[in-house]
Amino acid sequence: MGSLFRSEEMTLAQLFLQSEAAYACVSELGELGMVQFRDLNPDVNAFQRKFVNEVRRCDEMERKLRFLEKEIKKAEIPIPDTEDNPPAPPPREMIDLEATFEKLETEMKQVIINQETLKKNYLELTELKHVLVQTRQFFEEVQFQSYPLQLASEIAAEEGHHIQADSIGLSLTAGVVLKQRFAAFERMLWRACHGKVFLRHSEIDSPLEDPVTGYEVQKCVFVVFYQGEQLKSRVKRICEGFHANIYPCPENQAESQEMILGVMTRLEDLQNVLGQTQEHRYRALALAAKNIKVWFIKVCKIKAIYHTLNLFDLDVTRNCLIAECWCPVGDLNRIQQALTIGTERSESTVPSILHVVESNLEHPTYNRTNKFTTAFQSIVNAYGVSDYREVNPAPYTIITFPFLFSVMFGDGGDGIIMALFAIWMCVFEKKLASSAKNNEMWGTVYAGRYMILLMGLFSVYSGFIYNDFYSKSINIFGSSFSTNGTTNETIRKNLFVTLDPNTTQYLGSPYPLGIDPIWRQSTNELTYTNSFKMKLSVIFGVIHMLFGVSLSLLNHTYFKKRLNILCDFVPQVLFLVGMFGYLVFMIFYKWLAFGPHNSDVAPSLLITLINMFLLKPPPQLLYDAQRAVQYVLVIIVVLCVPWMLAVKPIVLYIQNMKKQVRKPKYANLVNETEQESEPVEPEPDQKEKFDFSDVFIRQAIHTIEFCLGCISNTASYLRLWALSLAHAELSLVLWEMVLRIGLSMEGYVGAIVLWGVFAFWVVLTIAILLIMEGLSAFLHGLRLHWVEFNNKFYVGDGHIFAPFSFEVILDDKED
Amino acid sequence: MSISELYYNVDNGYLEGLVRGFKGGILRQTDYLNLIQCETLEDLKLHLQSTDYGTFLANEPSPLTVSVIDDKLKEKLVVEFQHVRNHAYEPLSTFLDFITYSYMIDNIILLITGTLHQRAISELIPKCHPLGSFEQMEAVNIAATPAELYNAILVDTPLAPFFQDCISEQDLDEMNIEIIRNTLYKAYLEGFYKFCQEMGGATADVMCPILAFEADRRAIIITINSFGTELTKDDRAKLYPRCGKLFPDGLAALARADDYDQVRAVSDYYAEYRLLFEGAGNNPGDKTLEDRFFEHEVELNVYAFMQQFHFGIFYAWVKLKEQECRNIVWIAECIAQGQRGKIDSYIQILE
Repeated sequence: MGSLFRSEEMTLAQLFLQSEAAYACVSELGELGMVQFRDLNPDVNAFQRKFVNEVRRCDEMERKLRFLEKEIKKAEIPIPDTEDNPPAPPPREMIDLEATFEKLETEMKQVIINQETLKKNYLELTELKHVLVQTRQFFEEVQFQSYPLQLASEIAAEEGHHIQADSIGLSLTAGVVLKQRFAAFERMLWRACHGKVFLRHSEIDSPLEDPVTGYEVQKCVFVVFYQGEQLKSRVKRICEGFHANIYPCPENQAESQEMILGVMTRLEDLQNVLGQTQEHRYRALALAAKNIKVWFIKVCKIKAIYHTLNLFDLDVTRNCLIAECWCPVGDLNRIQQALTIGTERSESTVPSILHVVESNLEHPTYNRTNKFTTAFQSIVNAYGVSDYREVNPAPYTIITFPFLFSVMFGDGGDGIIMALFAIWMCVFEKKLASSAKNNEMWGTVYAGRYMILLMGLFSVYSGFIYNDFYSKSINIFGSSFSTNGTTNETIRKNLFVTLDPNTTQYLGSPYPLGIDPIWRQSTNELTYTNSFKMKLSVIFGVIHMLFGVSLSLLNHTYFKKRLNILCDFVPQVLFLVGMFGYLVFMIFYKWLAFGPHNSDVAPSLLITLINMFLLKPPPQLLYDAQRAVQYVLVIIVVLCVPWMLAVKPIVLYIQNMKKQVRKPKYANLVNETEQESEPVEPEPDQKEKFDFSDVFIRQAIHTIEFCLGCISNTASYLRLWALSLAHAELSLVLWEMVLRIGLSMEGYVGAIVLWGVFAFWVVLTIAILLIMEGLSAFLHGLRLHWVEFNNKFYVGDGHIFAPFSFEVILDDKED
Repeated sequence: MSISELYYNVDNGYLEGLVRGFKGGILRQTDYLNLIQCETLEDLKLHLQSTDYGTFLANEPSPLTVSVIDDKLKEKLVVEFQHVRNHAYEPLSTFLDFITYSYMIDNIILLITGTLHQRAISELIPKCHPLGSFEQMEAVNIAATPAELYNAILVDTPLAPFFQDCISEQDLDEMNIEIIRNTLYKAYLEGFYKFCQEMGGATADVMCPILAFEADRRAIIITINSFGTELTKDDRAKLYPRCGKLFPDGLAALARADDYDQVRAVSDYYAEYRLLFEGAGNNPGDKTLEDRFFEHEVELNVYAFMQQFHFGIFYAWVKLKEQECRNIVWIAECIAQGQRGKIDSYIQILE
């Protein structure tokens, strides 16, 4: 578990893989997920790399799989969610896979084409049916209107109509057009034919299916009457332009009846055939659906392997691939093992070699986490990934974060709800895992479940200290105040009192844990708790910051920077302790030295601190040697500033001067020749030129930041008090304004009202107190860690270790 | 700052952000340097995958053809444009519609020319630019004269006001079609120019120079192309859009020009056009005048992104994207036909 305090020790390693074994080895490493490969040919284009053809074949396979998946989804066949994780298939299996997919795709395409033609036929026939039915209606209407007298005899009417139509040479075109295009179609007909056509239309009630897209579309039947050949061709062209399907339309009713019958039978036949093709398609797809997940994983793995192989350097003469990778030192054995397995699997005779190399490249940061620590580590990483082997704030965050949160949240009742919710998530974490993947918001909450658990538990603790449960206090030990004899009675009856510890009300021994419940009834409650919480915030803040500064000592000793200890760490500690450590001391001293009897002569700490820096004598003394102690402290604090500011740059400057003197003049020449002969290693440009002004300015910024930061950060910790006050007041408001109304009513009506009021109170408590206030306390806690704590020691300039791992790749793909 | 600028971000802020994002995805010089090294169209596809185009070709079966690439490029632009258009408020929506009009004009002319050469409409439709397609487009072939074209088809389209100068009872022959195209374009450019001027503010500041250059370019190209045809000088003068820098003196001079050198002499009076003519030539290694014009257009469009609170970026984005499509298609053609010598003649857009 040492790696939680610092990031894992990493090393650069070279792999020499026989070209026939490379594929299997990389596959094993991908399953292991412990190495991060470096790109050895960054100048080479994506399409000029060695295994680009294989990658392309994988692309093609993925395309086919996507096509199949689309068809499966269209047919609404469920894809079984298999948990099995097949290993990457050997390269020769790729050809089999390709052949399988090819066959499936062509088969599917064939089926689709067949189905499309069938559907097209079907559509045409349906349209024709509608045209026939609708046009008959038109004609019947026409007969009703123009020949009411001949209605008696149907045959006569029909003949009359016929003669009529023939005699003036009317011809007609009937067809079907998309409903949304009909208006434009009608207008165009009118304009292009100068109003010399007669158009009737009616909508088809049932939507038709478009054979290509499969969408449902609304269409219209229309009949155009016109005279003459010229108009005919014009109408035809317009129909063509609007994608209207034209159908032959018999003018004779008997004929049309016959046609309708014919169409009907053909439709039935087609329906049968369509059903069969549909079934065939369904069967083929159902078969594919079973395997498609596994295929996707296989292809994805092959592709990932070839992508990785593309990063490698090819050594033609020795017939092997050279790879460079970062790996954790602790895992070298497992990597070696994976390589051996890979080599054996590919039946290669020459073993693959792992060769650790020294490197002055910046190492990646790798913090091993488990499900408990992940959330805390990610809070730290969100601020900045730590430098290689720098002190990692995550383990301390595990305790300080929930603690500071609870100081702000500070309600035992809400804490219990929060803890129960977190326990539910932790107990059912396996079941909930899949639902968390699909929902980002819920996923975030789920990922932080252990953190929420701690936050809830700590809040319960704070609730006991503040004695605050849904704005009520719990009277466990019996109050230590006596007002008119019966204090506990007062608490029960909720009477208001003013407490004065200086009178006989105080029984002499304090309440054993947290705040005395009687304060809840007291009119001077706020004066009391404010002073308490404010001082508490300052104490926590100073301790937290001091802890941060001492962590920087661990960094300095680890990286062997003695100069930093002397010129940064020591003055920083003195500065912080001299100024705010003294304040904390005074707070405690005042608590201990002044009791109720002499509290009216106690000096104000704020005034004392200000006077101390103005070098004024304090009006009231806390203790005897106060003036001398304060003078010494002020002098130390003031001296710390130039110490931090100037000493380090000057020392560095002197060291640099000495080095230059010692170095012979021709040293440069030697260095240059060496560099020329050895261009393989990335330029060891660690020793950059010393620039005094640069160093000085950096140090000045650092000093100013620290000194001003100490003051503003201490003030910033007062948010602990402010937020806990806000939470307490809000929950008081909810109690007084909502739940008390329900509780104060009596009888059956009161019970019903209470039922409604309680529901309202619960909703408000969860929405405002738990979620809103919880989020706000969370954010402020984050800020206290990122800004106030981290800037005392944390550089956070590293880059994270991103190993080549199938698991990660497949997870990404699913998203 | 005028009122419209105060409210600019309320109405168009989202779309502007979107378009600036799209502009960030325009290929840069390094991308082109990679593209021209490609050996096959598959290489091209592989490289485009690493750019903003992403997987736009991923679902195309091999082997790729240039026309597939072209279609997909256009489709992507159109999808983006339609998204922007669907979210646009007045007056941005009208402005965006104005952009599509030029494509509509091109489509109409394409269809009429096609039918004149007895091509089937269904064969011509895929060649039309999808940005300029409109409902009545496919019925264009019923028109035999410009008057019919107007009365039956264009009267319902937004192009109707531009067409009023072209109505005559002549037949549609090739010469007339060209005249119609240029007259339409002239009316369109002048209309667009006026619209932008009325918008005022930064939109006018940015768009007017771009449209003025477009007008002048058309005037110069029309003049050069008219040498050796039946077009009379009077008719030619009627085709010049009158909203550019050449108006009025330059256009008058152009109207009198008889050969290329005289056109060039006219351009000498205008500093930026002189520069364009100086760099152009027909010798191998020289850039053609057209390319020089394209380069200048790209430059103007890139400048449009320097200012905020105006609609010019929408126009500039469409035009730059279009140029990018032309570039990619050019490179793809060169690769497909093995003409690697000419592969460098794409127009660079961003550094």
